[in-house]
Parts: sequence; structure tokens; C-alpha cells
Amino acid sequence: MNRLHPFSAVVYALRYGLLWMWLPFILVSLLAGTVAVVSIAWLPVVTALGFLFGAGYGIVYYYRFEYGITPDTFDVASGVIARRSREIPYRRIQNVDVRQGVFQRVLGLAIVTIETAGGGTSEAALNVVSKSEADRLQHQIRRRTAAVDQDDSAESAEDDPSAEHPSEDAPATDRPDETDRSDERPSSVETDSRPTADRRESSRQRLFALESRELLLYSLTTVRPAAIAAIGFLFLFATDTILDLLVSIAQPLGGPEDLQNGDTQSYGVLTVVSVINGVIITYLVSVAYTFATYYDFRLGRVDEDFVYERGLLQRYSGSIPAEKVQSVTVTDNPLQRLIDYAGLWVETAGYGPDSSGGSQSAVPMARADHVHRFTENLTHVETPAFESPPPIARRRYLVRYSLIAAAVVAAVFGLAQVTPIERWYFAAVVFATVPPAAHLRYVHLGYYVGEDHLVIRRGFWRRRTTVIPYFRIQTVSTRRSIFQRRLGIASLVVDTASSRTLFWDTPTIYDVDLEDARGVHRTGRTRLQSALRERARTDDAGFSVDFT
Amino acid sequence: MESLHPRIRLLWIAQTAILAAVFGAVLAAVDRWITPVPTAALAGIVAVAAVLGIAYAVRLYQIWQFELQDDALYLERGVITFVETAVPFVRVQHVDTQFGPVERLLGLSSVVVYTAGSRNADVRIPGLTPDRARELQDTLRDLAVESEADDAV
Repeated sequence: MNRLHPFSAVVYALRYGLLWMWLPFILVSLLAGTVAVVSIAWLPVVTALGFLFGAGYGIVYYYRFEYGITPDTFDVASGVIARRSREIPYRRIQNVDVRQGVFQRVLGLAIVTIETAGGGTSEAALNVVSKSEADRLQHQIRRRTAAVDQDDSAESAEDDPSAEHPSEDAPATDRPDETDRSDERPSSVETDSRPTADRRESSRQRLFALESRELLLYSLTTVRPAAIAAIGFLFLFATDTILDLLVSIAQPLGGPEDLQNGDTQSYGVLTVVSVINGVIITYLVSVAYTFATYYDFRLGRVDEDFVYERGLLQRYSGSIPAEKVQSVTVTDNPLQRLIDYAGLWVETAGYGPDSSGGSQSAVPMARADHVHRFTENLTHVETPAFESPPPIARRRYLVRYSLIAAAVVAAVFGLAQVTPIERWYFAAVVFATVPPAAHLRYVHLGYYVGEDHLVIRRGFWRRRTTVIPYFRIQTVSTRRSIFQRRLGIASLVVDTASSRTLFWDTPTIYDVDLEDARGVHRTGRTRLQSALRERARTDDAGFSVDFT
Repeated sequence: MESLHPRIRLLWIAQTAILAAVFGAVLAAVDRWITPVPTAALAGIVAVAAVLGIAYAVRLYQIWQFELQDDALYLERGVITFVETAVPFVRVQHVDTQFGPVERLLGLSSVVVYTAGSRNADVRIPGLTPDRARELQDTLRDLAVESEADDAV
């Protein structure tokens, strides 16, 4: 079993030391006021004692944290008082991620996390190991996962030679089925003393790299909800400062002297200017965030796995086994469609380092025709000829959005009753946006029932075109609300095991004729069965790694 | 297609009765501390809620159906939104039988089928007699094992 990098001991000592410092500090501060025996003068002593205890705990924690690579599992044992030892079978590992913050990059350290399909968090986190060790682990685990899957297909798991000779450092390279692979390096290269760059380049084939032009376009055309959250958070903490700043910016344009003194017009100016300021700042934060996250994005392949790297300050790298890919999604927003660009995402059942589920960007941004070609190469899907829902669906959205608009007008009317706002009826202009909104939603809906895939397109602001191989279908549901039943239409929900659900909805074909929905429902079910039989016979992964 | 046990209606009615009672309590609190509400209106609202709840329970029972088809467990359910779901046996991860205190009182039990999916990941069939639930669980387990796929996540 191996230990973490010795630097972890320092980190854990500090972390637990600071944690335990607070407990006696707060206790003594509270008790000193109420209990006569306790004196406030104890503070420095108890705080120091608390820190020492915590630091000691942190160091013991470091010594009690062990991990190791065994022939069949990746093992982690941890815990000072309550011990936990965990064995993760290689075949269950979805991806292995390596993360480096700014500080860690300077020191050559990294955090390794291992994801499986179950649970809401990472299965194992090694915090921290040296970068070379991180790369070695990532490589070894990937290699062993691939070896297990190979054994599976050859049905020779029982007589696996390496299983009888458990050895930590000799990887599975001596196995005959691996040495004849063209892109495999000789095992002698794989020693820990070699610089990482050499080792990786030799086996790694580059699939895609984000050029600076694409990175800039991607940053400029993407708006991240995280940026809005960050700004909101900042506002909560420094409300007064920000309000003062907003007032002083709006003043030269006709804003009020301060928040208390102003008339209707100056408050109006303040509101408009502040909203514009807010939008601009949020956008800038979002651009900076995207730029830093996807800086120097590279996607490559090692054997049957995708490996990616990205990040300016915080560096991420991870691997996704091609056979764990559940579905593939092409995303674009109105701006990106205008300049004819799109992005490509692959979804797995694991949990990614962004805590955004098992969805990883394979190609953050590229010309739309390239992305479509990549998608077709990756999934072998034929160019989809989308079918649209019946026009009655559009009428439905018209009604739906009219109701929303009516609600907005009603809200403004309500506001006008309690505030000095007059002419509330001007709010009725929102009705003008209803027909285009309904139309845009309608025209971006589409689905295609392919030979081996179902392609579902939906969304205007963030249009997503998801390619689902039939063999990845988990369940299919035909849903009809009372309104849909009246119109004779239905929505079909096609569920896969990809875990990204918080931000992305489950792929759904919205508002098609009931008969069509039932037809796709049946097709999905029957093709799932035939595709599974087909796969069992030919052992085809269903995804081509070499897609660019 | 197989229907649920008729007693499930009692469970659903009990659930709505509890909800109506809570709703009534909230209204009573409003009446006492915020603004007076006429007692007749209060009783009327609670009565309407209760009647709607009972009608919903009866209708839901009429609609709820399931069937073991040759490749999948097929379910139909839902009053407001009618949902037809197919859970292929090959996708079944595990099957539970469950019963809560009220279900136990009524001599009923539920079968919960788990898949690896992200939505509808657990499909619950309520209102089965304990024997039928056990039997269904065994059948589903056998069918799931029989059709096991090679591509588990």
C-alpha cells in the first residue's frame, strides 16, 4: 500500500489543527461569560492545545491513509479511529480525474478522484499525491480497466495470469493480448522516474485541441449560470459597498444623490443603469470563468479511452472509457448558431470533477459542420433528417406563453396598486414576444428515428441535440397531460443512465402525435433488444474513439 | 393488464384525508391569528378538498395498470398526466418489496423496481397483496437475471 505525498501531512495537520482550534476557543469564550471558574485568560492556551491536537490528528490521518493498486481492485484504506477500507473493482470505474490548483501546480502536486456509477460523490479521492504519481495512477487504472474489459470479451477472466501473481509495479503489459497493440509502449518505458510528458506523448494520440480563436469564441458566446450565482453571492456579502458603487455610477446619468433621496425618474435611471451594470459584470465574470476553465483544452485517446486536459489556474485531466459513454449531445446557443459553431459533450454515468454529473465536454467549441462530422464518426449515426411535432404543438406554446405574459401583466398591475407606478398597461408589450417565442420553441424541436440511434433535438437558448444509441435506453415513457390528451399529442421520455439531470433534462421528444409517440416507444423497445443481441454477438463498443 | 388491489383506494384516501386535515388546520390558524374566515367557508373548502381527493384516488385506481410483457414491465398510471412506461427486464438493477405502516395495516405491499436511469430510476407498483408482491419480485428477478446484458454501467 502507498501513502499520499508527504506534503499532505502538512495540509491535513493545518486543516485539522485549524478545525480543532475553534472548538475550545468558542467553548471558552462562551463559558467565560457564564461560569465563574472559566477565565478568558485561558484562551491562548486552549487554542494552542486545540491546534496541537488537531495537527496531531491530521498527521496520524496521513499515516493511516493508504491506497494501492491490486490486480482486480483499487484499494483505499483510511480513518484514524473508525477505519474504512474500500475496494473498487476496475470494471466499475467510470473515470479517473486529476485536478491541480494553482498552488498544487507550483509544487507539482495533484488530487486524484476515482468515479464509479453509484453514489453522489467520488468513490475515492487522493488528496494530494505528486503529479507523476497521479499520472502513473491514472495510466495504470485505465490500463487495468481496459484489460478487465478485454478479458470480459474473451471470457477468460478466470485464467487471468496476473491475478495469480499480484504485483504492485509490474503492470499488465506482459499479457499477450496487449503487447501486440500498435499504440502500446514497451513496459520498460513505464518507470516512475521518467518525465511525465514523455510517457504520455508516446501512447497518446491527439484527437482535438481547442485553438485560441475557438477558446475566445467559446468564452464570449457562453453564459454560465455559475457566474450569476457568484455575483449574487458577492452581493449578499458586500451589499452596502455595491449599492454605493451603483448609486455613484448612475449619478452622472441622472440617478439620485443617495438611496434615500430621489424622485421617480432618478430611481428609474438608477434601476436601468444598475441592471445594465449587473448584466455586463455577470457576462464578464462568465467569460473569464469559461476562459479559465477551458484554457488549453486537449482531448486525446489512449487505447479505447478518451483523455482530456484543461484549465488555466486549476488544471483538470481525466479519462473516459469509450464503452462507458451513454449518449452524445451537441449543444449550441443562438449566438453560436449565428456564427455557425457548436459544442460536443459525452455523457457517462459517473460524476465529473465539475460536480456537474457525468457529462464531459469532448469538443467545447468547433465549427458546426466539424462537430456534426465528429458526432457521426463517434456514434456512427447517419445524418439525421429531423421530423417536427405537428403544428398543434405550436398553438399549445402560444397558449402557454400567453398565460405567462398575462401573469406578468397581472403582477405589474398588482405592483401598480402599491407603488407609484402608473401606466401599468405598458407591460402588455410582453405579449408581443409570445408568438416569436412559441414559434422558436417549436422550430427547434425535432426527432429522428435512426437505424441504431434515436436523435432528439430541443431548446432554443441552449439547444441540445442528443444522440442515444438504442442499446443505451434504460426506460421509455409516453406522457400525456390533460391538455395533451385533448389535443391528441404526447411526449416521449427516453431515459439513459447518464447522470446529468440537474441542469439538463432527460431527453424528451415533446408534443408529437400520440401514434408517433407510441411508434417511437415501440421502436425504442424492440431495437434495444435487437441491439443488445447484436452487441453480445459482435462485441462492438458502439462508439469510435477515433472520431476527429 | 393487471389492476391494483382495491384496498389501495383506502390508502390513497387516507393520504388525502391527512392532507385535507393539514390544510384545514392551516385555515383554522389563519382564522384564529390573521384574519377571520367564516366557518362555513372553512368547512366548505376542506370538504371540497376531501371530495377532490377521494375522486382522485378512485380515478387513479381505475387507471393504474401493469403487465409483464415479453421484454419489459409495462405500466400505465396518472390522472393529471397519463404515463405509459416500459422498463425492459434487461435494465432492472434490483427489485424491492416495501410496505409502510399504513400499507401494513391494510395488508398491502409495494414492489419497487430500480434501473440505472436518471429519471424514473425507481418504478413503484403499489397496492399488491404481500403474496403477489413476493411473487412479482421473484418473477422480475428471474427475468432480469435471464436477460442480463453485458454492458452494465
